[in-house]
Amino acid sequence: MKNTIKVERAIQNITQQELAEKIGVSRQTINAIESNKYVPSTVLAMKMAKFFGKPVEQFFELEEDD
Amino acid sequence: MKSILLLPVSYKRIGWLLLIPSLLLGIGVRFFDFEWKFLTIGKGKEAIIDSKINFTDEIALTGIILGLLFIAFAREKQEDEFIYHTRLQSWQWSVLINYGLLLLATWLVHGLAYIDVMMYNMLTVLIIFIIRFHWVMNREKKFEQ
Repeated sequence: MKNTIKVERAIQNITQQELAEKIGVSRQTINAIESNKYVPSTVLAMKMAKFFGKPVEQFFELEEDD
Repeated sequence: MKSILLLPVSYKRIGWLLLIPSLLLGIGVRFFDFEWKFLTIGKGKEAIIDSKINFTDEIALTGIILGLLFIAFAREKQEDEFIYHTRLQSWQWSVLINYGLLLLATWLVHGLAYIDVMMYNMLTVLIIFIIRFHWVMNREKKFEQ
């Protein structure tokens, strides 16, 4: 799974810390997701979708090996 | 995210405060034959081994184990699913490495020295977990891309 959360963050002009606070997780979690080391749960993905105001498919994308 | 079996955040500090003096005491007992005289029971004059018992080492080991447990099981400030995931993964790592080391030591260390191996092995699961978990947490903290 790859994602463009970093881009979404840039659009909203917020830091990892701010995004983490908005959706109630640690900054480490945002960092791990952005660097593709961790795939978030559906709950967390939906929270991000709600915050960015767009569906999850627009910033999460399946890869060949998924 | 609610995770079970975790202690409050403050236990991490309590753990360190308990671990450091206990570790120093343990090193004193193990390598310098240190003991608190008032913790000795039994006369020790009989020709029976262990008729005299000193509890300094019991106190040291209890402090070390509780200290490590407190550090390992203290909640992070912002507990969430990634941290929970890292926690479980770190336990898996530590159990595997622990038994790897034990197998290695079983073949490399013989005789009385093996008792030392067993002694350190009591603590390595907790120590490896703490190192692995905090290493990942710090690694993810470092990069703000």
